[in-house]
Amino acid sequence: MVDAYLKADGEILKTLRRFLGNLLRKGIVDYLLVPQEISHSRTLTQTLVKDPAHLENANPFSPVMPINSAAIVSSLTSDKPKKKLGVVLKPCEIRALVELIKLGQASLDNLVIIGTDCLGTFEVEDYARYIDDMEHTKEKMGERFLIECRQSIVHSDTDYPIPLRPACRICQTITPPLAHIILSQFGSDDGVIIRLENNLAEKLNLEIRESPNHEKQVAQILNRHTALREKVFTEVREKMETVNDFADVLATCTRCYACQSACPICYCRICFFRTETFEPESERYFRWAEKEDALRMPTEILLYHLTRLNHISASCVGCGMCESACSRHLPLTTIFTTVAHDVQKDLQYQPGMSLEDEIPISAFKEPER
Amino acid sequence: MPSQLKKTTEFEPKIVAFLCNWCAYGGADLAGTSRLHYPPNIRAIRIMCSGSVDPAYVLKALLDGADGVLIAGCHLGNCHYHNGNYRAKHRIEILKTILQKVGIDKDRVWLRWIDASEGTLFRDTVYQMVCEIRSKGPNPLRESWKMWQNTIGGWTPQALRLSTGELK
Repeated sequence: MVDAYLKADGEILKTLRRFLGNLLRKGIVDYLLVPQEISHSRTLTQTLVKDPAHLENANPFSPVMPINSAAIVSSLTSDKPKKKLGVVLKPCEIRALVELIKLGQASLDNLVIIGTDCLGTFEVEDYARYIDDMEHTKEKMGERFLIECRQSIVHSDTDYPIPLRPACRICQTITPPLAHIILSQFGSDDGVIIRLENNLAEKLNLEIRESPNHEKQVAQILNRHTALREKVFTEVREKMETVNDFADVLATCTRCYACQSACPICYCRICFFRTETFEPESERYFRWAEKEDALRMPTEILLYHLTRLNHISASCVGCGMCESACSRHLPLTTIFTTVAHDVQKDLQYQPGMSLEDEIPISAFKEPER
Repeated sequence: MPSQLKKTTEFEPKIVAFLCNWCAYGGADLAGTSRLHYPPNIRAIRIMCSGSVDPAYVLKALLDGADGVLIAGCHLGNCHYHNGNYRAKHRIEILKTILQKVGIDKDRVWLRWIDASEGTLFRDTVYQMVCEIRSKGPNPLRESWKMWQNTIGGWTPQALRLSTGELK
C-alpha cells in the first residue's frame, strides 16, 4: 500500500466524486455503493451507482449512518454475483462486514472495499435539524459541514457543533482495519490522502506522497475516545450489581425489535423471538400470571436482551445502531460495548479486525482439552 | 446416603438439567438401572447434543425461576457430533461472563462432562449441585413483577448524558 495525495481543487467532496467516478470509468469497479445526500442535503442514504454521472451528491464521509451498510453489502454479495462491486464503508461497517463474511453471510469475491476514516456520525434527526438551522446559503452544506468538523475535531480539539452518537464518542476504530482503498480524513487540510496499492495509484494517475501527520492525529482523537470509554465502563460496572439494576436500564423497553432489526450482526432470517415460541396460546399467559401473581406484558423483556447479548457479544463491533434505532432511547450501546468488551477479552478475540481470526464459538481447537 | 436424602421442610431447589442423549442421559440411565439414589430435584430434558443448548433456554429457565441449570454432555473429544461440546463450552463461558456482568449468580449454571458409563459421576454431580444450590437459597428472579415494580426507570450513564440527553 502507498499513500497518494489528492489535492482538492476548490471542494473536497467534488474532488472525491471525481475520484470515485474514475473508479467506475476505468473499470476498477462496475458498481459503486456510496452514501449520497438527499432531501436537500438534510440527510444521506446509501446508493448503488452504475453511471459515474450520478455521483453529483455523493459524500463518502457521510456524517450520518442511517443503517450499518454491512447489512446492505451482505444482501448484495451473499449469492456471489459476478460483478465487480465497490463499497464505500466506515470502519465499523467494515468490521461488521468482516464478521458477516466469517459467518457466511457476505462474500469478498469481486468486492473492492473503499474504507473511509471516520470523524464520527450524528443521529439522523440531529443532523437534519442542524442543516435546517444553518445560516446563509443552503448550498453545499455537506461540504461546509465536513470542513467545519475537520477543523474543530482534528485541530482545535473542541467538540462538534452537534453531539456525536454515543457509540462514536467512545469508538476505538476510527480508521479502517482493512480495505483495498482508504480515503483518509486525517493528515491533510487542503485535500485527501488516499491509501491504495501501487498499481492502482498508477492506473488512476495519482501523485504518491508521504503523510506524516496521519498517525499523530488519529492517536490524538483515540486518546479522547479511550478516556471517555473508560469512564463509561467504570460507571456501568459500578451500576450493575444486581439484576434489578439491569432491569432499571430496560424498564421502558417494549420489545419492539428495533434494536434487533438495526443490528448488522443479527443476521437470522427469522429471529426465534418472532416465532410461535413467543406467541404461546393464551392459557399459558394465564398460568404464568397465576404463578407470579402479576405478569409484565409484553413478557420476556429480560430474556430478549440477555439472549441478544449472548448471541451478539462475541461479534459486536460497537457501531451503536441498536441505540440509534431504539424508540425509547435506551443506552444499549453502553450496555453492549461494556459487556462485549469483557466477553471479547475473555475469548481473546477482536471482532472485525482481520479475516484470519476465527469467531471463537465456531472455531474448534483440539488442544483446548 | 439415604439419611441425607430425607425430605426436609427447608427450601428444595428446582434444577433444570439438559442432558445429552449420547453421554449424560446414558449416565443418568445407568444411575437409574444401577439403583443409585440421588435427590429428586432435577427435571431432566433430553437433548441430542450439549452443543444444541442455546443460551436462551438456560436463560429462560433461570428467568422463570429455576434455582439451577445443569448442562451435561460428552467429555471433550468424545462428542458424538465431533465438536458440539466445544461449542457448548464456549457458549456457556460467554453466558457466564454475561450473567456476572448483569448481576445474576453465574454459579447457578453448571456445565459438566458425564459419560454414559459414569452413573456414579452423574449421581455425585446431582448430589453436589443440589447441596450447593440449596445453600444459595431460592432464585431471586422468581418474583419478576416485584422487580419491575421497583425499577427506577430509564437509567442512562452520566458520562454520556450531557449531549445526548439535552437533544432528545
